[in-house]
Amino acid sequence: MHFAIRFLTEYRYDAPVTDNLNALRVRPATTSTQRCDEFHTRIEPEARVSRHLDYFGTEVLEFGVPTSHEQLTIDVRARVVTSPPPEPPEGSWESLLSPAYVDAAGEFALPWQDQPLLTGLDDLHDELEADSPLETLELLCELVPDRFEYRPGATYVGSTVRDLLEMEAGVCQDFVHLSLVLLRRRGIAARYVSGYLWAAPEDHGTDSLEVDTHAWLEALLPSSDGHGEPVWVSADPTNRRLADGETHVKIGHGRFYSDVPPVKGLYMGGATSELNAAVTMSRLDPQTSARA
Amino acid sequence: MGTGVQTPAIDGYRPQAPFLDELFEDDGTPRPTARALVEELRRLGPEGLIEAGRRRDAIFMQQGITFETKGADDGEGATKERPFPLDLVPRVLSGQEWRDIKRGLAQRIRALNHFVDDVYHAREIVREGLVPWRLVASCPHFARAVHGIRPPGGVYTHVAGCDLVRHSDGTWKVIEDNVRIPSGISYVLENRAAMARLVPELFASYRVRPVDHYPQLLLSALRSVAPSAESEATVVVWTPGPANPAYFEHAFLARQMGVELVEASDLVVRDDVLYMRTTRGLERAHAVYRRLDDDFVDPLEFRPDSLLGVPGLIRAYRAGSVAIANAFGTGVADDKAIYCFVPDMIRFYLGEEPILENVKTYLLSDPEVLAHVLDRLDQLVVKPTGESGGKGVMIGPHADEVELQRMRRVISTHPDRWIAQDVVRLSTVPTVGVDASLQPRHVDLRPFAVFGERIDIVPGGLTRVALEDGSLIVNSSRGGGSKDTWVLEDGDDADRAGPPIADTQPPALPDLRYGAWTGQQQQQQQQTR
Amino acid sequence: MLARIAHELYWLGRNLARAEFTARAVEAVFQAELQGTSETTPGVSFGSGGLLAMFGDVSEEPIRPRNGRALGQLTLDAERPGSMLASIERAREGARTVRDVISAEMWEAINTTALGLREGGQLFGAHPPAPAGPSLASQYVKERTALIWGVANRSMLRDEAKCFLDAGGLIEISDMVLRMLRVALPVSDSAPADGHALILLQAVGGFHAYLRAVTAPPNARPVARFLLFERAYPDSVAACVDSLHEVFTTADAGPRNSKPVLRVSRLAADLDFQRRALPDGAELTGICEQTQQELARIDQDVAERYFAGAAAAGLRR
Repeated sequence: MHFAIRFLTEYRYDAPVTDNLNALRVRPATTSTQRCDEFHTRIEPEARVSRHLDYFGTEVLEFGVPTSHEQLTIDVRARVVTSPPPEPPEGSWESLLSPAYVDAAGEFALPWQDQPLLTGLDDLHDELEADSPLETLELLCELVPDRFEYRPGATYVGSTVRDLLEMEAGVCQDFVHLSLVLLRRRGIAARYVSGYLWAAPEDHGTDSLEVDTHAWLEALLPSSDGHGEPVWVSADPTNRRLADGETHVKIGHGRFYSDVPPVKGLYMGGATSELNAAVTMSRLDPQTSARA
Repeated sequence: MGTGVQTPAIDGYRPQAPFLDELFEDDGTPRPTARALVEELRRLGPEGLIEAGRRRDAIFMQQGITFETKGADDGEGATKERPFPLDLVPRVLSGQEWRDIKRGLAQRIRALNHFVDDVYHAREIVREGLVPWRLVASCPHFARAVHGIRPPGGVYTHVAGCDLVRHSDGTWKVIEDNVRIPSGISYVLENRAAMARLVPELFASYRVRPVDHYPQLLLSALRSVAPSAESEATVVVWTPGPANPAYFEHAFLARQMGVELVEASDLVVRDDVLYMRTTRGLERAHAVYRRLDDDFVDPLEFRPDSLLGVPGLIRAYRAGSVAIANAFGTGVADDKAIYCFVPDMIRFYLGEEPILENVKTYLLSDPEVLAHVLDRLDQLVVKPTGESGGKGVMIGPHADEVELQRMRRVISTHPDRWIAQDVVRLSTVPTVGVDASLQPRHVDLRPFAVFGERIDIVPGGLTRVALEDGSLIVNSSRGGGSKDTWVLEDGDDADRAGPPIADTQPPALPDLRYGAWTGQQQQQQQQTR
Repeated sequence: MLARIAHELYWLGRNLARAEFTARAVEAVFQAELQGTSETTPGVSFGSGGLLAMFGDVSEEPIRPRNGRALGQLTLDAERPGSMLASIERAREGARTVRDVISAEMWEAINTTALGLREGGQLFGAHPPAPAGPSLASQYVKERTALIWGVANRSMLRDEAKCFLDAGGLIEISDMVLRMLRVALPVSDSAPADGHALILLQAVGGFHAYLRAVTAPPNARPVARFLLFERAYPDSVAACVDSLHEVFTTADAGPRNSKPVLRVSRLAADLDFQRRALPDGAELTGICEQTQQELARIDQDVAERYFAGAAAAGLRR
């Protein structure tokens, strides 16, 4: 699928601020199933933008506005082409112990920093018993949205898995964090993914939608024969399915949310800020989007 | 012996087998290098030692050379400021011994530096299968934010303090590496100055290598890595502030080097360049000797709640516009679990055999090793990988059954957070006891190395001594003291900082006939009589 | 030097000068009230009420003379930010921050003063203040601050650091003198013989200097002129402004384009002009007010030019 994405962020401050430093992780990645063709940024007040790839390979845009100002506009536009992913492999549980798997998994198989020994986790863990890692993953995508209500406002950006278990409600970020804990507990390496989701139903005639940045996960599944390379498979517990790569536009991944926040920043000055952010995704006709 | 009634403090001193004593042989006779010292200690006697001790405490309190301790034994209670516990009996190392230690340390520090570079770039040692990546990635001090950045000269561990112990068989072993923000050098300098003031007679028959060139070494190193012409580089010392327990050292070093002591509020990053706020506007800072932990340095990249950091500092660092000593992320090399791999690092990066050995250490992530260790827990030392300063350490042979059982449970729950080590029979040095008699007490050694254009190590270093009988815990925060460490001159000029002071005749001043007033006035005075 | 450190030194100077001025003024008023001479005669009125008014504390009813409470508030009341004790405490805090810049001697002098005032509070009599209480404390502070400045002038290098320390002191003194004049000078134009302007001279410690410099008896107008314009007297407003100019010219990297330097220079010129142009009997309260306002602007210019970097209003996300 071809998309045009526009991510417009506007900050308004109730008093002048200075030294406004920001880091953006908003650019669609280029992967085996996705390609970012065009990408533009406009900042106001004008600022020099520098780019680098962070530890996880996500492109980061950094800039700073040193002089006094009362509003900041960040306008990002991108064009991206996505294609459907291959069928997920059906490897066995034993393959999780193979050197090839351990190597590919790296730190994403490590338990959470202070692996929460929380009530409720054990029950969920037991319910994910299945014949293969792929099956567990599929079960997970049903189990989590069944047990937890998707409710914005129940949690906030700094919430933990404990909060989700207590509130029994949360947003995509919380669902993914919980899923990561459960998967890693079974020895399946998994990582947090930040991106954009084309959330229009297939038959709907829409070609433009306002969306929020979305969170899903990638789980490392061993190859079907146990000897080949393991494969990262996307799954979206919030939306109850393995991610179909076409509608999920990936920005980057990490161990958890704070490794890939879309916008992170600091400013100097006691003012409070008001944020207005909007992400618009538009579906493009392949002909018109294929530009020189 | 003296005419006094008192018994010399050092009479009847006996080393405690099986521990090696550094000043005395097993039979109680002083070692050759220690003979003159022991004689002077005899002459000084208990009265002399007590008196010097009183003067030392008064001087240290007045100058603020103190440290804070908790009031009661359980760690609760109001903190009290105590004078830094300097023991008056120095430790003596021969020039030859020191040379071996120096070579071993330089080798080790080079290897650690290579490791840091490797971990944040090509990871060759991991590809080679020598160090598991999971171990590196799970180090709390592994700093993903500085992945891919290479500082000037490829130097990360500008200041290193590798702690050494001397085993009863005489060999030196490294017990722990410290390459983040090692501290204690100010005590080394102040101890030497204090000893010279309090007990100059002890120095009488010795030529001890000076240590006071450390600030110059550090300043040169900082200048050499700064991104600007050496003579123009602005160097600063960055402190978290007066509330920090090591503040005295931060201010001391800034003063000795003649550079500004800055706090976070004095710094700002604009356009990826670091500046100091001065009365003349923003002035660039080229090299920062920072005494903050990585976690606090930049709220944009590390702990977001840190008020001690400078937003954007990592950007400036990435852009290469500022040099930071020690580099961010060096903590990956002094992690207690990574410690086990240092001998492999030396072989891999330098193609050499390690000169200084590790203490035998067990990584508990392997279930077999874990079982073995739990079985022998009463014979081993266990340390948590996430702590420093001796916190949480349990010494098997000194623990009772209840403590051992508790430890077994704790370790089994999170084995990857602990390491176990063979108990080292630390050497001892005579130390002044409560009644001013001298008793053997265990010591370790922290030499300080500066890595700029080359590796320079200050002769000796901080000797820490466990003040309690039989105790092996030397950290000052847990009741330890320190000693002046002497490295004797023996004709080897290798690390002399400057030419020796020549014994010359001062020039004659013929016009000072009457000792004070020059000619004319004196005559007038005589005339008026 | 670091903006933060310069800022601390400047305020150290201000706090020390304020403590000293308060001490002298309280002493002078106390003595005058003891002898019944301060508020009973027409012309200059400067008693406990006047003192309190100087610090912005105007009460409903006139304050009776020999009001120990009022004097106690000005000297040893830890709650009042303008009290002598509070000024000394702030000075000590500031000195502790800049310990590496001032000499050890200076730090010890300030520290001892603060500790002495604190502990001696019992001796000096804080609540309720014994009549002799504020007086003893004032004498103590007067002596100690003289010592502290003496040590500063001998042991500190004459560099930027000293400049900011001195600048703080100079601005504070001029401000205090101006306030005192505004509060004490008679509003009416008539100038009866009112030799009780003496108290003003005693408040600043300038009685003997006045006698040597001015032939007229110590009436309101000549005393006011002396305290405003006499450059030979170090604590006059004109002398302080002159010294301020010198000090900022030394400290500033580019004095010719420096806002504070230029403003101080203009103020010095204005004061000089007024000294020459104003007839002897002219009204001075207006000039005091304007000068004080100009000093406030200078203080602001100083903060902007030298300390601007230092004041960061905090980080937010």
